[in-house]
This record gives sequence, structure tokens and C-alpha cells, in this order.
Amino acid sequence: MIKNRIGALAGCVALVIGLAACGSSSSSSSSSSSGTTASSGSSSTVSGAGSTFAAPVYQQWASSLQGVTVNYQAVGSGAGITAIASKTVDFGASDPPLKPADEASIAKNGSPPVQIPMFLGAITVSYNLPGVPSGMKLDGKTLGDIFLGKVKTWNAAEIKSLNPSLTLPSTAITVVHRSDSSGTTAGFTGFLATVHPEFKSKVGEGKTVPWPTGTGAKGNAGVAGAIQQTVGAVGYVEQAYALQHHFTYASVQNKAGNFVLPTLESTTAAGEGVTVPANLGIKIKNPSSPKAYPITSQTFIVVNKDVCKAGVPGGESAAKGLGKFLAYGLGEGQSILSQADYSQLPATILEKSKAAAAGIQCNGTPIGG
Amino acid sequence: MEGASLRGGGRSVLERSPLARLPDRALRYGLTALAAAILALIVYFFVRLVGEAAPAFERMGVFGFTFGSEWNVNAEHFGALPLLVGTLITSALALLIGVPVAVAAAIYATELCPVRLRGALTLLVELLAAVPSVVYGLWGIFFLAPKLQPAEQWIAGKLSFIPFIGGGTVTIPNYFITGLVLAIMILPIVSAISREVIATVPTDQKEAALALGATRWEMIRTAVLPFSRAGIVGGAMLGLGRALGETIAVTILIGNAPRLSHHLFEQGYSLAAVIANEFGEATGLHRNALFAAGLVLFVLTLLVNGVARALVLRAASGRNRAGSGEAGARLAETVAGA
Amino acid sequence: MGTLDRFSVSPGRRRRDRIARSAILGATLIALVPLVLIVYYLLRKGLGSWSTSFFTTDPTGNTFFKNSSIGGIKSAILGTIEIVGLASAMAIPVGIAVAVWLVEYGKESRFAQTVRFGVDVLTGVPSIIFGLFIFIVLVVGTGSTYAAYKGSCALALLMLPVVIRSAEVILRLVPPALRESALALGAPRWRVIFRIILPTALPGLITGVLLAVARAAGETAPLLFTAGYTLKSNFNLGQFMNALPLQIYYDVTSPTTSIEHRAWGAALTLVSMILLLNVLARLIARRSRIG
Repeated sequence: MIKNRIGALAGCVALVIGLAACGSSSSSSSSSSSGTTASSGSSSTVSGAGSTFAAPVYQQWASSLQGVTVNYQAVGSGAGITAIASKTVDFGASDPPLKPADEASIAKNGSPPVQIPMFLGAITVSYNLPGVPSGMKLDGKTLGDIFLGKVKTWNAAEIKSLNPSLTLPSTAITVVHRSDSSGTTAGFTGFLATVHPEFKSKVGEGKTVPWPTGTGAKGNAGVAGAIQQTVGAVGYVEQAYALQHHFTYASVQNKAGNFVLPTLESTTAAGEGVTVPANLGIKIKNPSSPKAYPITSQTFIVVNKDVCKAGVPGGESAAKGLGKFLAYGLGEGQSILSQADYSQLPATILEKSKAAAAGIQCNGTPIGG
Repeated sequence: MEGASLRGGGRSVLERSPLARLPDRALRYGLTALAAAILALIVYFFVRLVGEAAPAFERMGVFGFTFGSEWNVNAEHFGALPLLVGTLITSALALLIGVPVAVAAAIYATELCPVRLRGALTLLVELLAAVPSVVYGLWGIFFLAPKLQPAEQWIAGKLSFIPFIGGGTVTIPNYFITGLVLAIMILPIVSAISREVIATVPTDQKEAALALGATRWEMIRTAVLPFSRAGIVGGAMLGLGRALGETIAVTILIGNAPRLSHHLFEQGYSLAAVIANEFGEATGLHRNALFAAGLVLFVLTLLVNGVARALVLRAASGRNRAGSGEAGARLAETVAGA
Repeated sequence: MGTLDRFSVSPGRRRRDRIARSAILGATLIALVPLVLIVYYLLRKGLGSWSTSFFTTDPTGNTFFKNSSIGGIKSAILGTIEIVGLASAMAIPVGIAVAVWLVEYGKESRFAQTVRFGVDVLTGVPSIIFGLFIFIVLVVGTGSTYAAYKGSCALALLMLPVVIRSAEVILRLVPPALRESALALGAPRWRVIFRIILPTALPGLITGVLLAVARAAGETAPLLFTAGYTLKSNFNLGQFMNALPLQIYYDVTSPTTSIEHRAWGAALTLVSMILLLNVLARLIARRSRIG
């Protein structure tokens, strides 16, 4: 009796899966390939995990690159570092540069860690103020005061003095910040901590900080949504997001004194003149170039120097695929970045990244080419 | 009796050979072993997680962690009180709003609803269970929260003399909207189990009440509900478990402010949400602290479940002592007292 | 209905009855309001993405080029069926078996109380912790990488307490008289369980099981650190696999609007799939009740 019913249900499920299998085997390209190289035209599979900020770029690069399947999970920079350290993926991706503790945990796999800067992105100060569609100028001090809760209305003296030509309403300022741990927060607070001593001591910098005021929203989408729903709101939103959704954002004063809008060029300019340490762990903090947009963030791909020796799950085949992926990303991949509103590395850093990528090995042989 | 065979060809238990008893014993031992294995798995689960959480407890002390009032990641100072309070507030809200509505829907579906509509109604309520938690969070924050904000502001303003409910600043993500969406999320499970339980009340008990002249509602109140109480509580406990442990939806709706807010319409944080939010970026002690938060949640679930069980046991034994005669006596009182 | 003419119902009681019944009806309607709102919202945001190619093509990973195809969600649909299917195959038999043990054999013994206690603890565990546990034990612990079956393990852990708890409640409702009379007729214990108790409880058991499956199908957190992620369809449970909640989670925060729409189309698909499963299972249960 029941056996019949259960059998019927199981049969239905099996039928559905069977149909799907038949349907897919004709239309999908490569199915269950594990990292083994097939016959000619070998397609290797590389796995990566980490930064959510970098995810759209790596997905796109993977999609544009023939012959390599890249499975990338946007689980966050911290989880990405854990993943590469525990060898659950072939490469990790992180926005902040590696801390000494991270370097040590990755080095435990038997090969020193290598972090390669891949591209840059700006963090915009987006706001919702009908009547002020453009032209808002803010400097580090005012921004810090706003996010500390000291400046409460849009027509406050501080903002007025920077924007004499704008008519500013008396609307209350609603601060919106990220409620989840994020590299975007780290980049934004990193800038504020550099230019605003009180912000540095009261709030500090990092992926999660104790915001003294404002609403928390989850993800760029959450912050964007919150800004759009509240008149008078101001928050920090990733550049790609702000540009693609046509947000209103302010120009920010950089170290040289110029008020700069977050464009792709000003973001790349932010990378110029940055001191590049030996391990390539750059951190863009209030850059000095006159054309630079000051709130800019970098992102890295993190691997062991000798990936096969370290024991990546994908093995040799993944190492080859990784080589192709890095070469593409630092080559042609840079030129398509602008299509999705991400910024290229400036030439100086790009050269160093390429050199580092060329140095990645698999059991002694370079993985490139 | 010896030698007698029963109708249908079965032999009496006394006559059954040891071989024939084998399937029974195999079943008994097999199932017992399985239950033991599951218990072992649960213990292992607990032990592993305690292991991951230990460094945080070492640093902050068990009480220091659980009741510490500041959750500061950068300073590596982890106190879970705001998280604990947030979890309690939102889960309590979820139960307060969700359980009565769910039980009412269950009663309606089984007792009052026209038979033709019964299947459709059941399906509709269970459809709520089909919605993924991330969709609940997004729908809540992008659709529901902005719509309710004016009403929330009005309540906070007009009722500001009532502590906790009134006063404070009204933010879009807040305790209330989280509790409300959680209530919606637990509706299907509480309702479905209550419905199953209510449907099993013996018809003769219900008909007896009606025959004695009870109105529909009185019949439900005296014949159906007391009988179903334990099962309904079981369903509510499952709903509570869901509410306590819900991660993604809460993290979108509660605002994730590691503060102990004193107002219903302000942001807060919860134990489950902090894990979802921060795990992706956490390393070292921070990660241990997140596991420790998970452990605090287990203990909380344990305590709440324990209390619920004790309440149900007491109610059940009370009813047993008085016997089913008590229900009848109460009913007769009602009818006569009219 | 239910009142004899000789015993007229007082106006007070009649009023209370009417109020109570209206309140119950009102509460039921309130329960349905969020459903209508959510379904409408899902349809509005997700229906536009639906097309044949949406279901039959894998997501392409194109995130930049505005005019090139971003693909559909085929790998996510297949992945969900595979991962949740395996999880159900693990959790449902085990869960019902444990519930049977609790009701038939363990009863109120010390050991059974402990098992119940353990299951109670498990019901309140946040879904992400199941994923993290499997991550620690099966991913990091074995030094291997993500796999679909590891995601299934995490989901099975999630489903287990729900199945056990709800099955226990349902099995307890089977009238003791049924059990006792069967035993008195000389039927062996195993036959009583399989031929009488389980079939009687089947509709209720199916309800509990469906709730567990629906929950598992919609959960993202347990899969995040266990199942891996890939855009391609595959039938190898030892490989990375896609799943609808994962696809939704990653897509919904994308800056590209078309990808965001894909997320909502996927959400609508997930809800529809679970609805279909519900309907199917109910049909089967109804036939078994009559048959």
C-alpha cells in the first residue's frame, strides 16, 4: 500500500531528473568535468572565493576567457583568505591587503603567499537631496563630522561654506552605513580615519566599526535602497553600483586640495604615486595625485607562490587555468573593466602585478603561458 | 490458547517461534541504535562548536561574553547582550503575533471552513513556507518596512508614554518589522501542525458538546482546544526554533546595530544575524566569538524549550487528574449558566 | 446548527459565539494577506524574466556587457533538485525512524528524554551554523574542497529536527486503541508499525516532511561554505553545484539590473517548484487515504 505511493513519488522525482538530464546533455556545454584535462581543447576548472566587490569582474573575465571554467564564490574577503589558507579553493580574493597573521596561515601550506593587485574601485558618497542634483562638494573634515553625527542638517555652516553656489535645504541628514562586514566600509573608514583624527579615535577603521549614528543597511543594494527611500539621506556606495544606477554623489576634496568626482580616470589616478611595498600589499589612503579621487579601494588575488606544492584542490590543471586567468585579467581584462564601471590599475602597479603573476609556479615551472 | 489459531491465519504471540520474533527484535535494536547515533551526532556537533567557540569564552569569560553589553569588533571586545536581547525581542514578537493567527487559521480550516475551500486554504497557508528566507528579507525591507513606517512613527509619537513601544527614533529596519516578518515565516509551520492536531480530535467528543447545546465556539473552546494543547505547543516550539535561528531574513531587517535599543522601532542585532553578517569577513578571535554567539543561542533554545515542556506537562497532568469529566463539567456550567 | 429548540441559546452566548467566529475568520484572512502581497511582489519582479531560455540555459557569468546574454537559471534549478533531493533522502527516513522509536519504544524513558532534548536544541540552531559545522568537519577537517553532497549534509542536519519533531507529534495522535487491537490480534510489532501506524499517520507525516523540504530548499546559509558554486549544470554530487537560493543570494546584490531581475525570476521559480511539490504530495496522500 504505502510502498506503492512512495514508489510513485520516487518515480516522479526520478522521471523529472531523467528528463532534465536528457534535455541538458544536448544543450549544456561542459558538464561534470572535474579538474582533469580532457582531450584536445582541454578545459580546466579553477575555483576561487573571496571579495564580493570583485565578484562581477572575475565572473565576467571567466565568461570572456575561453577554455577555462572559473567557479568563483563571493563569500567575503575574510572567508576568501580562510579558503585559500585551508586549500578549499585554488585562489582567494581579498580587498584589504594581507595581515601578517593571514600571511602566516597561508604560508603554512608550504609556500609563501603572493597577493596580486588586480583592479581598483572608488567609493562614492551618494545622497538623496531633491533640488541638489549635482555639484555637492565635501571634504574629509565635513564628511567625518557628518558620519559622527555632529553635522545634522544639510544647510549647516560647514557644508554651506564648501558650497556657496548651492541652495541647501534645511532637511535633516540621515546617515546610512553598511550593517554587514565589508571591504567597502574598510575603504571608506580608512579614508576618514586618515583625514579626521576624531573619527579615527571615536570610530576607527575596519570592515565593521561602531557607527555612532545612522541606519545600517545590508550590502550595497541595502544602502542604495535606504538612500533612495529617505530624503536627506547620505551614505557610501561602491562606484559600479552608483554609476549603473545613476545616483547623485558628491565630489570629495583630495590631498592636493582639488574637489574630484569619482570617475574611472580619477580612480586609476588614485593608484599613482602609492608606495608599493615588497609584498605588493598596497593600501590606497588619501592619495597624493592632484587628479585622484581620494576614497578608492584596491582588490587582490591571493595565492601561494607555488600553487601545486601548496596543494590546491584543482591540481596541475587548475594551476594552468589560473595562469591563463591571471594573464587575461592583467591584460585584455583591464581594457574591459570600464564597461562595468571598474577602474584599471595605473601602469606602475600593473607592471608589478604582471611580474608577480609571472612568478607563480606549479612545482617549479611557471604557470603562465 | 494453545493450538488455537486466530482468524486470518496469525498465530498467537505465545506460539510464535524465536525466528518469527526476529524482525521485531531487529527493528527494536535498529531503531534504538539509530536514535543513539543521532544523539551521538548531536553531542559531537555541540562539542565541535564548543571547541571553536572556546577562545572567545577564554578571553571574555562565559558571563562576560554572554552578558557583556558591547560588541566591538575592532577592539576585539565581544559582549553578546545586545544580540541576546535582540533575539529575545524579535522571537517574542514573532510568537505573540504568529501563534494566535496560525492557530486561528488552523481552527478555521478544520472546524469552520466550508469543506470545498478547505484544501485550497491549507495549500495557501503552506505556500508561505515555500518562500525562501532571503525573499522574505528583501520583500520586508523594500516593500513592507517603508509602507509601515508612517504608522510606526505615528505610534511612537502618540504612545510615547508607554515605555519601549513609544518614543525613540523610527528607523526603517527595526525590531518590530523583524518580528512581524518572522511571525509570517513561522505561520505555516505552526498552522500546519495545529491543523493536524485539531483534525484528530475524536468526533464523538465534539458531537457530544454540540449535542449538549454548546455553540460552535464553546465546542471548540471546551472539546477541541484542551485536547490539542500539547500538540499546538509542539508546533509553536518548532515555530519558535525557526524564529530564534533565522539568519538571512533577520540580518536584512533588523539593522544590525550592535546596540541595545530601548525602543520597538529602533534597530538592533540578533545572535543569528551577527554570524551571517560577520562570518564572511571574520578571522581569528572574531570568528571564535561568532561561534560563541551560536552557542549562546543553543542554550537559549534549550531553556525556552525546557520551560515549554514543563508547562505542557503540568497542564497535561492537571487535566489527567481532573479527568475528562472536568471538560464536561465546564461545558455544562456554561450551558446552564446561560 | 447544534442547538435544540428546547434549549434556547442565551443572547450573551450567541454573541460570544459570533464574535469568536468572526475573530477566527478575521485572523485567517490576516494570515493570507502577506501571502497575497508576497506573491504579487514576486510576480511583479520575477515574471518578466521568465522565458523558455530562462529555464533551459545556464547562467553565463556575463556581468558587464549590457546587450550580451546573461543566460538563465538551469544549473540552479537542477542543483536545487539534486542537493535537496539528496538531503531529503538522508533526513526523511532517518527522521521518521527516530520519531517512530520515540513514540513506540523510547516513550518516556531517560534515554528518550535525552534524545528529545537533543532534538529540541537542534531546532533552534541558526541555519548558518549547520553549514559551518559541515565546513569544519567535512571541508577543512578532511582537507578537501566544497562539494554538493556536503551541502546536502548541512541541509539534512537542518531538516532532521523538523522531521523528527513534527513526525513525533503526528505519531502520538494515532489512537492507542488502533495499536492495541492490532497487537491483541497477534500482529508482530513491525507489522503494526508499517501496516497500521505509518499509513494512518501518513497524511500528517507528509505535511511535516513537506515543511522540512520547503525550508531546506529555500535556505542559503547552509550552502554558502559547503556546496561550492558554479554556473554550469552537472550531475556529479562530489563537485561544486549551483542552487536557486545561492543564485538568488549572489545575483540580488549585483549592480547590473538584468542580473538583479534574474534573481527575482529565480525566486519565483523556487516558490513555484515548492508549490508544485506540495500539490503533488497532497494528491498522492489523498489517494492513499481513500485507497
